[in-house]
Amino acid sequence: MTAVLHPPRLALRLLARRLPADWREFVIGDLEEEFSVRASASVPAARRWFWRQTLRCILRPPRSAQAYPYSTFSPGDSSMRTLLGDISYGLRVLRRSPSFALAVIGVFALGIGANTAIFTIVDTVLLRPLPFNDSDRLVRLFHVPPQSTFPGMKTFSVSPANFYDWQRQAHSFDAMAIYRFREFALTGSGSTESIVAAAVGRGFFDIVGTRPALGRTFLDEEDSPARGHVVILSDGFWKSHFGGASDIAGRTLTLDGAAYDIVGVMPASFSSRAWGATARDIWVPLAYTDAQKAVRDNHNDQVVARLRPGVTIAQADAEMQAISRRLEAAYPQQNAGWGATVISLRELIVGDIRLSLVMLLSAVALVLLIACANVGNLLFARALARRKEIAIRSALGAARSRVFRQLLAETLLLASAGGALGLFLAHEGLAAGATLLADRIPRADELSIDWRVVLFVIGVSLLTGVLAGTLPALRAGRTDLNEALKEGGRHDSAVGVRTRRVLIVCEVALSVVLLMGAALMIRTLVNIRNVNPGFEPDGVLTMRVSVSTTRYHSGEQMYDLLDRTLAELRAVPGVQAAGAIDDLPVTGGSVQPIVLEGHTELLPKDQPTVNVRTIRPGYLAAMRVPVLRGRDINDGDDDVMLVSQATAKLLWGNEDPIGRRVSLPLESKDTMLQVIGIVGDVKQSDLTEPVNPTVYQATRRPVTESIREGSGGSYGLALVLRSAVPPLSVAPAAVAAVHRVDAAMPVDDVKTMATILDETTTAQRFSAALLGVFAAVALLLASVGIYSVLSYIVRGRSREIGIRTALGASTSAVVRMVILEGMAPAAIGIAIGAGAALLSGRLIEKLVFGVSASDPLTLAMVTGSLAAVALLATLIPAYRASRVDPIAVLRA
Amino acid sequence: MWFKSKTAVLGDFEQLVLFGVLRLGEDAYGAAIRQQIHARSGRDVSINAVYTTLDRLEGKRLLRSWTGDPTPQRGGRRRKHYALTPPGIAALRHAYHSVISMAEGLEQRLK
Repeated sequence: MTAVLHPPRLALRLLARRLPADWREFVIGDLEEEFSVRASASVPAARRWFWRQTLRCILRPPRSAQAYPYSTFSPGDSSMRTLLGDISYGLRVLRRSPSFALAVIGVFALGIGANTAIFTIVDTVLLRPLPFNDSDRLVRLFHVPPQSTFPGMKTFSVSPANFYDWQRQAHSFDAMAIYRFREFALTGSGSTESIVAAAVGRGFFDIVGTRPALGRTFLDEEDSPARGHVVILSDGFWKSHFGGASDIAGRTLTLDGAAYDIVGVMPASFSSRAWGATARDIWVPLAYTDAQKAVRDNHNDQVVARLRPGVTIAQADAEMQAISRRLEAAYPQQNAGWGATVISLRELIVGDIRLSLVMLLSAVALVLLIACANVGNLLFARALARRKEIAIRSALGAARSRVFRQLLAETLLLASAGGALGLFLAHEGLAAGATLLADRIPRADELSIDWRVVLFVIGVSLLTGVLAGTLPALRAGRTDLNEALKEGGRHDSAVGVRTRRVLIVCEVALSVVLLMGAALMIRTLVNIRNVNPGFEPDGVLTMRVSVSTTRYHSGEQMYDLLDRTLAELRAVPGVQAAGAIDDLPVTGGSVQPIVLEGHTELLPKDQPTVNVRTIRPGYLAAMRVPVLRGRDINDGDDDVMLVSQATAKLLWGNEDPIGRRVSLPLESKDTMLQVIGIVGDVKQSDLTEPVNPTVYQATRRPVTESIREGSGGSYGLALVLRSAVPPLSVAPAAVAAVHRVDAAMPVDDVKTMATILDETTTAQRFSAALLGVFAAVALLLASVGIYSVLSYIVRGRSREIGIRTALGASTSAVVRMVILEGMAPAAIGIAIGAGAALLSGRLIEKLVFGVSASDPLTLAMVTGSLAAVALLATLIPAYRASRVDPIAVLRA
Repeated sequence: MWFKSKTAVLGDFEQLVLFGVLRLGEDAYGAAIRQQIHARSGRDVSINAVYTTLDRLEGKRLLRSWTGDPTPQRGGRRRKHYALTPPGIAALRHAYHSVISMAEGLEQRLK
């Protein structure tokens, strides 16, 4: 009978129970197979043999190295194998608790991802060299204007004659080049386009050090009016207008009605948007006439230079100052008080954003620290759940260092997964936010993840894992074996509670700092929004037009065109008022010396300066700039002027300016303008700066050099409409109205005045939005931290709470006890955080406006709201504590 | 040390197990190895000792294993088969040559 050939059933059952799962099948199969062989000789002997094998297996079951990572080292064990063992064991442990693993990975990914995104921006903007050859030697040269007439202004554009003197006299540079921007009307391909070119002087492309992708750059002799009709295209323009055709050399471009020969195409890498001179569609030679080169008192040009190798910026700066002093002595009439300075190109491009980025990087690092504290808390709770497992490992001989390494390996595993996910999130986030970032930070077009970012992620992931994992792993190794192994050990609440409270204190303190930063930035934004710009932006539509001075070459023709255009615009349904101005408020514009009638013109450093705007009738009405005294300008007015309140005070003190006459010597030394009214002050350059004294002239003189000299070109100005309906809804009709007057007049930048105001605060909005998000995440993490620690304490102390209740403690006393338990670390954290926020306020002092970085009201708001959130987080555990059933607890 | 490159040093029972695997070729699995060791060395070892050693040797990459098909003699259970890897063969060769060269000329005295 086959039945008797079965091995003893009890032995089989014992084996099945006692053998590890991964061995069971093979060991029992082997034993059964040998049993059947032996049973064919003698069944009792086979049964005895089977029992012997079974007992030996039960007493010392087959051990596998992977299944028992806490065992003492076996001979021949290497650290690498231990590490791999730790990792694979960690993977299995985490697979068994996926929700814990996912929560931790999620928190890590958020923290590391946000850090990676900000670091990528820092890396691109601040750390990477500019995309030009040997870019660290590229510098810009500026005038330093006399401080008496331009208070606070540190740099100023350069005048041509001074530039050519600098070029001749300076020895600190390999070369320097002058350039400026010129607006052209591009025709020939159907509609007329307005295009801003960089007009560059001799040597410009050699200084920047980029070779053209096709053709050549300008020849030295092309920097002259006679031969200057040549043009170089950008990669983007070449592709959009010529489809990237390779036979481009020799073709022409029609600019302001004149043919320009295309001589070359620059590579895409040259079109850095960070620098105005390279962010252009086309480049033309500057081609100044000798008369233009001799202009010394009109400062409109830019200068770029390449430092000689080994020369520092400070040395070059010193030399330029010496040259300036010589020029001051030689030309006191034009140059008195005008110095010069050298600034690195990189500093100019990224200098403004550096402080904001450093602040954001610090803020996001705080978020990561909070995330670490939070994960640390989760790990503590988990270490409690695994206390018995750890105690058994220790009892079997695992050293504390071994347990520590195992737990740390698990945390590092989670941090690495979080880091990988974070890198992905950062990449996706930056890709999604690319268009948003484009206008807010320089060099946004160069954003990409490079090896430095990857190293950063790896470093931060490891650091995060160690930061979050060390304390819990250390504490877990200190478990009291006796207590842990007792069934239902009662001293749960004793494990790591103090450390976890410290973590809560840290989380809350860091959150206060972040919240304070966010609140200050938001208040800054609100304060800027509340600044009275001096006009009413709502309901105003603006657009830029450029008038071809080739076709309208006299002042009369041009103003006639403008007045007809404005009349046409006023007829558009919904339009209440229409006017024109050369430069809109808050966008900057011309600043010139002004001379009162009867006074002699002083040296430039002593001559008062004002913002000069040229307007057409209707502008003040459209912008609702109030006329305080006198009258607004009319269509027939010529050479009249309105002055702002600040100008009146600056030039005439308490006297009445109306009827006085002044001249603007830079425009015309002998034209006198009569003051006909005083208008309200308007912010011309920046909302955060004090009002600028401004004059508005209305004239029928030609106001640009090109018209005065008859050399052709375009005159750009802004049309301003006030509409009774949403402004953008009249835009199509308004553009059509302009084109009814002159179909070839380019119209660009159609936007509302409100949008233009918004654009001036993009940097602040960027910082405020990011800080706000960081602060919200911090608040969420901190409240989750408080909640989890408190729930854990309540669970651990439920027996004590039960006894208290049984002995007559009221529900409210229990609730109060739990709330105090939670609020104590929160209150300490708030106090520490408030101190830290006040200290770190110095970092953002320069970034806030209208509020002190240590503003007590903001601090009170922040600490108050954090206390409220902390209180909210304690409520659920407190409620649970109040529901503890004393009988159930005491029986357990 | 995280990396090691030397030939593994084998314990004596490890040597017996590896010789068993080498001798059995394709039929090397727990019970067969145990029987080989019993038959040739006289040591009636327990199956758990064999498996513990097999697992350790596999962990050191001296052996590789695969699972066979279920058979009726085993109550429908599968066998776990083992074979030597090149480092395993090298380690065994090294151990064998060590014994041979240590024993050289001593045969008479060991009789």
